[in-house]
Amino acid sequence: MISKDELAYLAKISKIDLSEDEAEKFPKQLERTIEYIDILEQLSSDDPIVLDLQEIKFDELRDDVIYTSGGRPINKNLTEDGFLKGPKMK
Amino acid sequence: MSNLYDLLAYEVVEGIEEGLFTAEEYVCSVIKRIEGVESKLHSFISLDSEGALSSAKLIDRKLKEKENIGLLGGVTVGIKDNISTKDIRTTCASNILKDYVPSYDGTVIRHLKENGAIILGKLNLDEFGMGSTTEYSRFMPTHNPWNLDYVPGGSSGGCGAAVAAGECTVSLGSDTGGSIRCPASFCSVVGLKPTYGKVSRYGLISYANSLEQIGPICRSVKDVVMIMNIISGKDMNDNTSVSSSPITINDKSNNLDIAIVKELIDGSDDAVTRTIYSTSEKFKEIRCECNEISIKNLNYALPSYYTLASAEASSNLARYDNIRYGFDLPIDDYKWDNYFSNVRKNFGEEVKRRILIGSYVLSSGYYSKYYLKARRLRSLLRLELLTLFKKYDLLIGPTMPILPFKFGEKIDDPLKMYLVDINTVIANLAGIPAITLPVGFSNGLPIGLQIMAAPFEEQKLIDASYALENTINIQRRPNLI
Repeated sequence: MISKDELAYLAKISKIDLSEDEAEKFPKQLERTIEYIDILEQLSSDDPIVLDLQEIKFDELRDDVIYTSGGRPINKNLTEDGFLKGPKMK
Repeated sequence: MSNLYDLLAYEVVEGIEEGLFTAEEYVCSVIKRIEGVESKLHSFISLDSEGALSSAKLIDRKLKEKENIGLLGGVTVGIKDNISTKDIRTTCASNILKDYVPSYDGTVIRHLKENGAIILGKLNLDEFGMGSTTEYSRFMPTHNPWNLDYVPGGSSGGCGAAVAAGECTVSLGSDTGGSIRCPASFCSVVGLKPTYGKVSRYGLISYANSLEQIGPICRSVKDVVMIMNIISGKDMNDNTSVSSSPITINDKSNNLDIAIVKELIDGSDDAVTRTIYSTSEKFKEIRCECNEISIKNLNYALPSYYTLASAEASSNLARYDNIRYGFDLPIDDYKWDNYFSNVRKNFGEEVKRRILIGSYVLSSGYYSKYYLKARRLRSLLRLELLTLFKKYDLLIGPTMPILPFKFGEKIDDPLKMYLVDINTVIANLAGIPAITLPVGFSNGLPIGLQIMAAPFEEQKLIDASYALENTINIQRRPNLI
């Protein structure tokens, strides 16, 4: 069972405030999901992971050039100097 | 002539070009249809009737002046509301993005517009594409046009319902673990999840980048081909996209070797199993061999999928910090962590659950136990499927193991909801193409056949689907008044 403390820690690192109702019902729901994916422990294979869905070659990457979309600029939280303003760290 | 909203995409283009009706008449017919049924279905989050009508008038004017109207000239397209549309609100059915208006079109939208398609509006989904019923939409659930008490499937439920009901002629959805195929199957329409990389994901608001693809939901295989040839191709804004050959409609299927996947049948509802086996008999009528095979390790597919999808979701959704866009919440009143946590409480429950699971499986101590194992399974599954595709052209089974179900049946048990995706996640894990085709009904509820092929073998999917579509005689339009 995921404890309420563990849930609180997961919520903290995920930066999400949970409601009282969520804090109450999530431990059981998440536990059921984790129990389900626990079956992966039984997968025994030492084969290397090969997963090249699409091979991307460095020289095929596009040039690092800015293209503008011509849409409305997003000005939220921009200072007059053009810096992005965020909440205080402390 | 039948109702114009009832026409297939290629019939719309032909009709407009031949002067049988104008683009404006056709678009008016579609809008009238929406006015008639939308209050029952709730397919649309945003509807741009005015924009659609002015685009239709432009098409008519171009035609009058003998200008090219494009391969999709006048066809109405509904877009899943997680694909960026310039100047049209794009919400992901989330409160976090409820007022977000993109400044750019996704590549697929640009291709559609360049070919004369009319973007009619944005269609409902489970929040950020996480769900199988649209019940996780933060705005409203969409109803299944075949029975309004039942879910339309998801996450692209608005796309499936709107196309089936004639609220738009075609739609674009996205498929991370079955989100095109599930609603297409539950709403008795055709849906294609392309090979990973065939269609650019630029403009698709990310949930799990390594799994998802944009694809069409249509009322016919021929329409799927039309849309795919327009939206496919290499895009400089998506480095995983590649060039590939166009698909065509062939009148004859080419003696395909087909295998029914036993594990996809096991555990399915009896009605679904019966329909899939009787459909497999029809393949023989169109000169295709049909055998039964087994796929090793398939029982690990769904746990792997939810591990990987949640891990990617927890990273992708970290970007919703409310700094550049979002709620009007003054940053000066908060400290760093409190600000983000306070804003992000506005995610719905399912999104929160997946972010939390993602954080869990990526945590040190659990990373190798879950995430690495899931990646290993993905690698093994892809290799096994590629080996099978050396022997068989196509693998088939039910798209959904169950019939559409009633609202509220699974919403309180997330795991029950996840199990709905058991047959569809395979194609996403392996990056292969898969199509769903309507093949029957049980108690008035649709059943879909899923066909999978090797990477970039969409042509084989289309050949088999088109031949099968022509042999199956089922009701094509729900009895919605």
